[in-house]
Amino acid sequence: MESEYEPLLPIERKLIWYTFSTGVVLLIILVFLSRMFT
Amino acid sequence: MGYVMPTERIAPIKSKASSSSEVAKIVQTRLTEDWLAVCIGLSVFVLSLAMLFGIDLLGWAVTTSVWTAPAKALAPASKYYASLPAVLSLIGTYVFLLIILLVAAKALRADLKRFALGFTAVFAVSYFCWFLGSWAYIAATPDKRPALKIPWSLSLTNESGFIIALLAGLIVGNFLPRFAQSLDEAIRPELYIKTAIVILGGFLGIAALEQRQLATAVIFRGVCAIIEAYLIYWPIVYFVSRRYFGFSREWAAPLASGISICGVSAAIATGSAIRARPVVPVMVSSLVVIFAVIELMVLPFAAQHYLYSQPMVAGAWMGLAVKTDGAAVASGAITDSLIRAKALAAGVAYQPGWIMGVSTTVKVFIDVFIGVWAFILAWVWSAKIEPRAGEKVRVVEIWQRFPKFILGYVATFLIVLTIGLAAPSLIPKVKASMAQANLFRAIFFLMTFFAIGVMSNFRKLWQEGIAKLAAVYVLCLFGYIIWVGLLISWLFFHGVLPPTLKG
Repeated sequence: MESEYEPLLPIERKLIWYTFSTGVVLLIILVFLSRMFT
Repeated sequence: MGYVMPTERIAPIKSKASSSSEVAKIVQTRLTEDWLAVCIGLSVFVLSLAMLFGIDLLGWAVTTSVWTAPAKALAPASKYYASLPAVLSLIGTYVFLLIILLVAAKALRADLKRFALGFTAVFAVSYFCWFLGSWAYIAATPDKRPALKIPWSLSLTNESGFIIALLAGLIVGNFLPRFAQSLDEAIRPELYIKTAIVILGGFLGIAALEQRQLATAVIFRGVCAIIEAYLIYWPIVYFVSRRYFGFSREWAAPLASGISICGVSAAIATGSAIRARPVVPVMVSSLVVIFAVIELMVLPFAAQHYLYSQPMVAGAWMGLAVKTDGAAVASGAITDSLIRAKALAAGVAYQPGWIMGVSTTVKVFIDVFIGVWAFILAWVWSAKIEPRAGEKVRVVEIWQRFPKFILGYVATFLIVLTIGLAAPSLIPKVKASMAQANLFRAIFFLMTFFAIGVMSNFRKLWQEGIAKLAAVYVLCLFGYIIWVGLLISWLFFHGVLPPTLKG
């Protein structure tokens, strides 16, 4: 389990940020849709 | 969710010296087990449907009522078999399950003698726990006390047998290691729960027939909730484990998937997607199983206390927060019985199964997306993070990682729905059929609880030195996942109530 420290690559930061922000935006849209149409 | 195969069972760490083909072997076995669960579940389902033609093929199966006199607790399920002694009904149920599971064990290349002996013990202990949990002082809800002539009861319903089975399993797993080892071949919680979920599809099909609009809303909201779970859980857990705990990418990605998504399968799929060493998903899987037990013992009671006025929120919360299929659906079942009992005391009689139905729906959709998520990660890793010349991610891998038992769940759900929609006059017969199949679903649930307990050897895991992994797990699960899961469940399900019983 012990391994050399690997700094966060820019692509990893992008993956984290894009995924999370997509999630938040989708959350708002889907909550709205679920309340409107179901 | 996912399969926990023998090599992973808490002696997982044996696989530190495992070959590079081990993950492939794990995935292969998981797929086989998925198909077996479909076959077993569909067999029970089809046999129960014989009632549509007036043939009662499963009515001899044993059922346990809430009892005050032990001698009157057990009986055959159907009135057509009323003359059959209860003991024979119990033995018949055992033999039936033994035979079909021996076929499955043979397909899994298990040691059949050890499996038969282990299964006998698993069945005996599990059913005894169900029997204990059906004792009126534990199970009876307040409305049943006058008929049973008892002044008080814990109102836990007979599904408290699940908790007793879990406790029995934990005792065996942690204090009776030699006995636990002797049961090893039959400790297959994922096979049991997947089979139960296939059968559950038919049961939920009946619920959907009776409440079509509500069922549609639950399915839609379930899909919404799980998309959020992937996108909001995973990046934060990955970030925390990389940034604050210094885990390498090889450890952080399977750990994030294991904590965020659906436990064992997600950890295995991610490990394989990013080409991690076999030991990585195996270690993560061990943690997933242990913490699922803890969640299972805590969250349903928390849900009963704080969310009994929002039952569907509670059900979705179990599906989003509790990892592994077995523990999640089991938590849904306990939450269902606990909340219904509490609501009943307040004068509201919810129909059974809806809260568990939400947990199952959410969990099933989470499972469906594991393959897609693993594919995305495989593409990011192979194209951007660790590009290797000539290596391409194939779309067919989504199918390879797809949990096949879900097809069985969808099939039983749709068959019941189709029959009900095409011939509404058959609905009462279909309902009676599903009630019989449901007896076997409960037994598979019970064995799942017991098996999860047996697998959870806390001391051994600690000795293997996975404290740092556990630290991330505790922090993310109890500090983030559970609360975000609750928030998402609330956003999508608050105000949605299960139908109430008429009369």
